[in-house]
Amino acid sequence: MLISENTKLAEVILQNYHLIPVVSRFGIELGFGDKTAGQICEKYGIDKVFFLEIINAFNDKSYLPYKKLREMPLSVTVDYLLKSHRYYNKVKLPLIEKLIEQLKWTGNADKKNKDVLKTFFARYRKEVNDHTANEEQNVYPYILELEKNYYAETPDADFTKRLNDKSISYYADIHDELNTSLSDLKNIIIKYLHPADNKEITEQILTEIFRLEKDMTDHTKLEENVIIPVAKKMEDKLKRKIN
Amino acid sequence: MADKVSFLILEKSYVIRSGLLQIITDFPETGKVYELETRKNLHKTLKKENPDVLIVNAKLTDDIPDFITVIKEKNKNIKSVVFAGTKRANDNFPGFDLKISVDEAKNDIIEKLKKLIRSIRPEISEDTNELSEREKDIVKQVALGKTNKEISEILFISIHTVMTHRKNITRKLGIKTVSGLTVYAILNNLIKIDETKPYG
Ligand SMILES: [Fe+2]
Ligand SMILES: [Fe+2]
Repeated sequence: MLISENTKLAEVILQNYHLIPVVSRFGIELGFGDKTAGQICEKYGIDKVFFLEIINAFNDKSYLPYKKLREMPLSVTVDYLLKSHRYYNKVKLPLIEKLIEQLKWTGNADKKNKDVLKTFFARYRKEVNDHTANEEQNVYPYILELEKNYYAETPDADFTKRLNDKSISYYADIHDELNTSLSDLKNIIIKYLHPADNKEITEQILTEIFRLEKDMTDHTKLEENVIIPVAKKMEDKLKRKIN
Repeated sequence: MADKVSFLILEKSYVIRSGLLQIITDFPETGKVYELETRKNLHKTLKKENPDVLIVNAKLTDDIPDFITVIKEKNKNIKSVVFAGTKRANDNFPGFDLKISVDEAKNDIIEKLKKLIRSIRPEISEDTNELSEREKDIVKQVALGKTNKEISEILFISIHTVMTHRKNITRKLGIKTVSGLTVYAILNNLIKIDETKPYG
């Protein structure tokens, strides 16, 4: 389904619940009646083109919106990425952690299984935290500065000096997917973990992992298909301009 | 992990292309899928991506004699599938490894493609995912935090062998990370939880 500005947002959400956190990241709250995507963007002061590109991209694997997104200001994309970081670190990961804490087994297995899962997950949480912290403290600010200087009449001398020995390529090379560990965890729970007594919690954990995984995949795609190539182009052009 | 199977679909019709895509992406063995509408970039894509399977509409091969022979000269291991429309469903397409036609039932197409994939990656479809004793030794060492080099010294095998074992382990278990393998090792009593390096 192609979502346009005339599509009713309720219909969009009804046919794909994965979009619930995405929409909420834009500050949109449920209860939007029969309003269309366009009307809602206006109401919340959201950039319509960006919003539609994002939800179409996340809604349909074969939709290739990156071209349009690459024409948007990087600051808009970065703002969205920051919000999803917050969602992972502050909402989803703590939630899964809490659910793991609630798992129960009979007898000795309880401590062992829980300890091993908790350790694994704590490590993963730290991995995500480190990854996003690096992006927030180094990568995104650099990109925003780059964009500012790219459009500036006279680029900041301090920045251009640094430009020669710093590059987005470095980040691109080491940028990894965050969900390898999630996929491991899925496998472990589905295939190797002795079933817990409260299996509804297990099911909930798995569901949350699947959702988080999907969200993170889309997130990584935005970083790799939008901000990296756009920043690279800006770097090249800026370097040519100053050298 | 054994490499996934990559596909190149050459098909003009969007509707047919997405139908094929849907069927293909349902196979767990499927990796990258490249799509082309016309022959324009065919040879470039074949050269660059070297896909395992080429699926092409019969109509796009008709006017070129030796269409598939020429491709097979360059992409030696490629498997070729011809997709035939209603009129040509009963024709023969020499040179192609497989024919599927628009009239066939979904299940038949799936069975045929599954066979083809098995022939490309027999190791993926191995029945047993049970770890061998040697592989268990390796998982244990990995979980204890040993590097490949250390493992090769402890078990008196080459680093290359260690790496091959690790690939097979990951493929069999579906677990890629060291932390994941550690969890597996503990759950299966290959090591005790307090033998692992404390989390820091
Ligand atoms: Fe990120
Ligand atoms: Fe990232």
